[in-house]
Amino acid sequence: MAELKVDFCGVTLKNPVVAASGTFGFGKEFNEIFDIGVLGGVSTKGLTLEPRLGNPTPRIAEGRSVILNAVGLQNPGVDVFLEEDLGFLKSKKIAVIANVAGRTLDDYAGICARLDGKADLIELNISCPNVKCGGMAFGIRPESVKEVTKAAKSALKKTPLMVKLSPNVESIAVNALAAQEGGADALSLINTLTGMVIDIEKRRPLLANNTGGVSGAGIKPIAVRMVWEVCSAVDIPVMGMGGIVTAEDALEFIIAGAAAVQVGTANFTDTLAMPKIVAGMNEWLDAHGIADVNELRGTLRLNG
Amino acid sequence: MKELTVKILENAPLAAGVYRMRFALPEKAEGLACGKFVNISVGDGAHLLRRPIAICEYTEDTVTICYQIKGEGTRLMSAKKAGDLLSCALPLGNGFSLEGAERVALIGGGVGVFPMYSVLKEYEGKGKKFFSFIGFRNKGAVCLADGFASLSESAEIVTDDGSFGRKANAVEAFFAGAEKAAPERILACGPLPMLRALKTGLAERGMDVPCYVSLEERMGCGIGACLVCVCKKSGKEENVRVCKDGPVFEIGEVDF
Repeated sequence: MAELKVDFCGVTLKNPVVAASGTFGFGKEFNEIFDIGVLGGVSTKGLTLEPRLGNPTPRIAEGRSVILNAVGLQNPGVDVFLEEDLGFLKSKKIAVIANVAGRTLDDYAGICARLDGKADLIELNISCPNVKCGGMAFGIRPESVKEVTKAAKSALKKTPLMVKLSPNVESIAVNALAAQEGGADALSLINTLTGMVIDIEKRRPLLANNTGGVSGAGIKPIAVRMVWEVCSAVDIPVMGMGGIVTAEDALEFIIAGAAAVQVGTANFTDTLAMPKIVAGMNEWLDAHGIADVNELRGTLRLNG
Repeated sequence: MKELTVKILENAPLAAGVYRMRFALPEKAEGLACGKFVNISVGDGAHLLRRPIAICEYTEDTVTICYQIKGEGTRLMSAKKAGDLLSCALPLGNGFSLEGAERVALIGGGVGVFPMYSVLKEYEGKGKKFFSFIGFRNKGAVCLADGFASLSESAEIVTDDGSFGRKANAVEAFFAGAEKAAPERILACGPLPMLRALKTGLAERGMDVPCYVSLEERMGCGIGACLVCVCKKSGKEENVRVCKDGPVFEIGEVDF
């Protein structure tokens, strides 16, 4: 049994495998299939101060080795989450990562204040591509990345702050540095890439929202490259994600420099994807005589 | 609900563009019931979304589904052979309830006939009286006609073009036969225009019979976590999840 425990900016993850926001709700449904207590953590569905209904349907479409979603931040609002869902996640003894979004700097500060000391980690969603006011505006330019990070950080006295970065930008490493300068304790990446699928019979996009966020196995090489670029640029820990299906996929991210990983779309293809990744990671480390997953972090050796 | 790898026992055409697949469960699955569905992989690595398909028949260790070939994914499914393995989650959704009803009208259109058939099979020999109103596009699409006839008190099969049975849709057939059937419960599944016509028709006639419809929506996880397959609660600023709160809803409960 290799050691899988990771210290992630002061938050203990019993293993580096975390459910990605938006694919896992607040954990209750997947817990009907497996004990989610085996996971390192869960990043919640994106929370906002007020309840949101999200986008019209269809909200999902498929391309080869990828999917597109445009859910549009449907959620019951942070107060309902605190009352009805936080307790369940806490009872599973896993890291509870509250993914939060807003329209304004005040929204971000307000929701962070509500969750401070309650969630184990805040994941600042400044990169949702599917709503006009989902924070994407904050996630593009490094100046506004820094500004929103500062606003969130100022509202947090106890809970550390992780900023989730968009890949739909000029330089993700520059934005990563901006978040670090703004006071982020950690980073997560990548959010989805913006895409479109067209129904050629109807000459219409398949998604009601026209465009959506591309995720799934097909985006993994892009995500690994970006995690490597960011890890080379910053000093704070990184949670890597994008197309992870197997334990080997997850280990690529860790070798590229990530301290932990998130798994999203794979949960749709196999509801047991995450426990399989945890078990597979352990097996791989044992087979390679590596006693602790942390030893593998950032061990990438570049060619030439 | 469970995550299972199932073994295909047979997978063959049932009607034009429609396949029937029967598969064996590796273990007994609790809660199999009419109106519920399975979320099944199409069996290659490139299609990351499973296909949500209604249960048509089941035993304690086998499930039969019928599916229309609509795109690349379902085409891949149709090429699977006996002995092949597919992963799926099942049983999902809430299913139909017939509690307190002896006379039941079943209204099915297109691939919506299969959930109706699941009701007949589940209640076979249990003393309820079913009145089936089943519509297909044309003669080539007609299937399970003998099953509907033998398991129902009366069954009318109609087609859009009149090439089999009367030229009508399932809802028109139902309203023509509703008085005679005198149902205490109505169950329906089919295209949205059909379900809308049913809703309007019931209201216009002032028919106050409990009516439940099974809805279809593009799904992500299939188990209620991702909030992809939602519809709006009637008269409320609130969504329900088709996969978890449905797919069966009281006809007035949701907007469609």
